[in-house]
Amino acid sequence: MPQSKITTREAIILVVTVIVSHTIVSLPKTLLSTAKSAVIINMIYVGIIAILLGYVIYRLFRQFHGQDIVDISQFLGGPWLQKIVGFVFIAYFISSSAFLLRNFCEGIKIIYFPFTSLTYIILTFVVVLCITNTFTFRSNVKTISLILPIVLVSIILLFFGNAKNFFIERMLPVLGDGLYQTFVVGLGNLAAFGGIGCLYFLPPYLKEPQKFKKISMLSVGVAAIYLIFCVSTLLFTFSFFVNVDEVLPLYSAARYIEFGTFFQRLESLFLLVWMLEICSYLCIANRFSMAIFQKITNLKKLKPLAFLFPLLLFAIAMIPKNYAISRYLEDSIYPYLVLGINLVLTFTILILANSKKNRKKVGVTHE
Amino acid sequence: MNSIAKKFFVFLLLFVFITMFSASYKTLNLDNIAILVSMAVDRSDTNRYQVTFQFTNSSSVSETGTTEKAPSIVNTIEASSLSSAINLMNAYIGKELTLSHCKLIVFSEEVAKQGIQDEIYTLMNDSQIRPSTNIVISKCTAKAYIQNSKPILEPLITKYYEVFSNSSQYTGYTVNATIGDFFNDMLCETCEPFAILGGINSEPLQTNTTNVSQKDANVKANESPVSGSSRSENIGLAIFKNGTLVGELNAIETLSFLSTRNEVEGFLVTVPNPDVENSYIDLYLTPAKETKTKVDLVNGSPYVTVNYSFKGRIYSMKNGAKYLESDVLSAVSNYCSSYLESTFSSYLYKTSKEFGTDINGIGKKALTNFFTMPDFETYNWNENYRNCFFDVHVDTNIKSGSLLTET
Repeated sequence: MPQSKITTREAIILVVTVIVSHTIVSLPKTLLSTAKSAVIINMIYVGIIAILLGYVIYRLFRQFHGQDIVDISQFLGGPWLQKIVGFVFIAYFISSSAFLLRNFCEGIKIIYFPFTSLTYIILTFVVVLCITNTFTFRSNVKTISLILPIVLVSIILLFFGNAKNFFIERMLPVLGDGLYQTFVVGLGNLAAFGGIGCLYFLPPYLKEPQKFKKISMLSVGVAAIYLIFCVSTLLFTFSFFVNVDEVLPLYSAARYIEFGTFFQRLESLFLLVWMLEICSYLCIANRFSMAIFQKITNLKKLKPLAFLFPLLLFAIAMIPKNYAISRYLEDSIYPYLVLGINLVLTFTILILANSKKNRKKVGVTHE
Repeated sequence: MNSIAKKFFVFLLLFVFITMFSASYKTLNLDNIAILVSMAVDRSDTNRYQVTFQFTNSSSVSETGTTEKAPSIVNTIEASSLSSAINLMNAYIGKELTLSHCKLIVFSEEVAKQGIQDEIYTLMNDSQIRPSTNIVISKCTAKAYIQNSKPILEPLITKYYEVFSNSSQYTGYTVNATIGDFFNDMLCETCEPFAILGGINSEPLQTNTTNVSQKDANVKANESPVSGSSRSENIGLAIFKNGTLVGELNAIETLSFLSTRNEVEGFLVTVPNPDVENSYIDLYLTPAKETKTKVDLVNGSPYVTVNYSFKGRIYSMKNGAKYLESDVLSAVSNYCSSYLESTFSSYLYKTSKEFGTDINGIGKKALTNFFTMPDFETYNWNENYRNCFFDVHVDTNIKSGSLLTET
């Protein structure tokens, strides 16, 4: 049982942070490409489904008080299944954060550091990660709790700052590419809620585990509202995100914000806030990976892993030969990872574990 | 020992990062950059790009920031592409051009007629170019436009380029057209891009009509009756289709454009005086309500209803004027409404029948008639815009004179 317990508010912030971080790179563009002018309807639809999934997760975890998905896997299939599930989640957390970091750094390089090697830009974040790993999880979460509200405010500012350039008519035709594309193919946009992967690891850290229902539903709800703000800003402001690809779509929107002739070029400020957000996300992914590794290898101390995992993340971030490959991995592979691991794999484990538990209960009652 | 190791590690990290990030900072150092204010693109006789760069001489700007005028430096280079021209200029001046303060990009009419789509893509691909940079299509050569642009009332040329398009809000004779909006409209399926029409003032054209005062609004850049120390002028609008210049609008048509898009705060119009034959009065109008545009599809053709609403006051005053009488004000209002109806209607038909380019973004309103994007794409709005019928309604309410109401 981890010593660092977090409050309900902090748990919600953790989940939202993970979802928010992906919107800074290419996620809004991916959402827009799928649903086009119907993206807001699609996000409402997908958001409702995600909230329902949050509720289902709470129901499935109800019988496993204070246990995470790795513990439940052990209950279901013994240590081998525990190890397999553990490694799958480590691979998921590390690879998704590594490719996100790579794409974000590619954007920073193009915009601000054209003559600096990408390796050093990525390394800067890795050093931050090494330093944060030397602190406790609780102190990391407290810092993240300070950063996320600033990020959310930045997105609201982005929305209202661009309001003068809005054309509400861009949400027409209401059905985008049609009913099938919006509501069937558009279901793939559930991948935007990849942060629900954190929910499977939160129970052991919660100060008030009885509030897991509130955490799972509220965090997804807040994230859904956030995503609607993000896609609305891009949809109402630009006509080109459907056909043209930009490195950091939200950064492009930030470049249009001007308050009179005095407050101009605010995008640097936005980028600074988003850098902190990326650091927060990397910290969360890294912390969960370390915790899973500790659990499946029965390590007593986390400290030896403090540098190992950031270096692993760095190595994976450097694998793609060019930006096209890293974007392909994030845009095309990551959604399948989210849907496959966060939904299919975990739901299968949870449903089977619940039925096993029920069978045991029935057995005990009969005895 | 542990503490020493930590300190050494921190020192090492700082050293590594300072060294590695210095390359990017070095190139952005003020000693190594040349601040570009504007850029002009022409075609040479050999069909190559002739790019003119305008810089400010930062050393001549007063340290106290007072009104000392900083002269600008204009250099021209011939190259096969924009990027190549920038590269050659970097080599020529021995500094790197920074485009982040570029306020204006001028294309000559000749270049624009051949299409500037690729140039716009190239410029938007540059992270230094601001989306708020203005785009001008020059009736003369772009180089001549820049050479003749002089800040008369501003100490710095950059300030002049930043504010000159603001007059669109209170005259309606020019527009605020930025590269960001141009790019956005170029890729839009329901609208087309536009730019500021610029030129150098020349001798005014001779008019043989009796309605001379209304002709004041029919001018455009290169034809205006203005003469002054700065010869460049920006009156009218350059309109595009698929990134290629297809036509120009004069001052009153530009005003119609801005009124249709709800982008004008006030403007002056000249209408016939209902009391005196062959006499005209000037009215200053402001929008009373937002212009409403509705598109219906009638037998497959777009039927566009546009409702404008203005309120205003009589600006010009003559001896014997009776602007406290209700029927006089109603008569002026009616004259004004019919004059604007005819002006706006002919403007809309001009964009539709003559140019076939939807610079007003009426296509966005047409989207309400479609449920899915494939339906809209099959309809092919850009081609069907030529088949539009316009039903224009103008409601004008002239309230009184200004300070004087009766003389």
